[in-house]
Amino acid sequence: MNKTLSIFWRPIWKDNPINIQMLGICSALAVTVQLKTAFVMALSMTFVLSCSSFMVSVLRKQIPRNIRIIVELSIISTFVILTDEFLRAYMYDISKQLSVFVGLIITNCIVLGRSEAFALSNPPHLAFIDGVGNGFGYGSVLLIVAFFRELFGSGSLFGIQIIPDFIYDAGYVDAGFMLLAPAAFIIIGLLVWLQKAVSGNKEMDQ
Amino acid sequence: MSDRMKSIVFALMLCLVCSSLLTAASTRLQPMQEKNFQIDRKKNILRSVSLIEPGRKYSNDEIEKLYKDNIFQYYVDGKGTIVSPETVENPELSGLLPLYLAMDANNRIRSYIIPVESNGLWGKIHGYMALKDDGATIEGFTVYKHSETPGLGGEIENQWFQENFVGKKIVNPENQFVAVSIAKGSAADKVTKEKLPNYVDGISGATLTGQYLTQGLHRILKKYEPVSLNFRQNALQCRMQTHEPWCEENAHE
Repeated sequence: MNKTLSIFWRPIWKDNPINIQMLGICSALAVTVQLKTAFVMALSMTFVLSCSSFMVSVLRKQIPRNIRIIVELSIISTFVILTDEFLRAYMYDISKQLSVFVGLIITNCIVLGRSEAFALSNPPHLAFIDGVGNGFGYGSVLLIVAFFRELFGSGSLFGIQIIPDFIYDAGYVDAGFMLLAPAAFIIIGLLVWLQKAVSGNKEMDQ
Repeated sequence: MSDRMKSIVFALMLCLVCSSLLTAASTRLQPMQEKNFQIDRKKNILRSVSLIEPGRKYSNDEIEKLYKDNIFQYYVDGKGTIVSPETVENPELSGLLPLYLAMDANNRIRSYIIPVESNGLWGKIHGYMALKDDGATIEGFTVYKHSETPGLGGEIENQWFQENFVGKKIVNPENQFVAVSIAKGSAADKVTKEKLPNYVDGISGATLTGQYLTQGLHRILKKYEPVSLNFRQNALQCRMQTHEPWCEENAHE
């Protein structure tokens, strides 16, 4: 049980895919202008990660070594396209905003990385939990970044206005910079700094 | 079984399973997606004539109702005559162009809406351009489907870009048809003051998208020029001959 828990927690804090492994930054810049899109993206990513890791792990003894990357990619892309089709049917506006970035989950190194590094050599239930953990690790960073960008960039959270009108009347202006990609870079940079400061920069000690 | 054989069989099996899964999902979800697409299209038509407030949420039923109450689909022939859809049996074959009319409460044409289908850098750009009943002033421009680069050419779907078109003219001061063009960068820096009403600001980093869309808009507006000309002549006649209050309103605008 302890092992399962640690597999779940590791990617959320100690091995966070964005903050520590520096993977999946591209989509983290693109979809974090609003909390809503970041949230849907985080869910899609968690779904794809956990399901594809699970499937790869189930098939791990059958997958021929020489074509394993192609097989993993086919499994991943199937889940990604399923997610995309589902979003277009049930959340049309959000899928329009996410545009290509759901499709680009296929090329997100986190997904293939987990299949290769974990799912191929671990049983299905652990691979599934590893996928969920990594999805949450990725998603939590997305949500934190989107929180700051939406709050300071548009004065709202989940599309609901948070900064009251009288502050705007007093001369406050939304920071347009927060809506641009560099703002996400800076916030992610600060998060990395924060995490390294809190966890005592283990990388240096090793 | 040799290793190579095993790989091939496995790959084939995988392809079969994945493709049937995807086909099933795609066929199942198609009607929903199509419905969303149609709602979005209608929303864009309504937005081009400002019947939808930006930023407000509308339910599907509200969109359907607004559309049904205000927008009417017609066709135009080569001479610019508006034809009712009931008299047309096969619009594609008869060479008629689709045209949407936005009517006001007195059943008077407020504006007419032209479907825009233009080339883009990566694929087709689909949208609508609404023109006021003077046949010269752009009331709105929207894009509902495109495949331009997000953040660059993709900005064409954003409000700031589309608002640029509002109030622009498709005719020059001498009332000659010139269509509307997208400048490279800020229009005010690039063109003379006389030409400014025919130019909108471009998107930085998306020069090619702008060029393609300009070409597309020129081509489409030219195709619809007969009907625009009719509207312009009507507006002129109306101003000169009658003294109906709404004509005067137009004259003052």
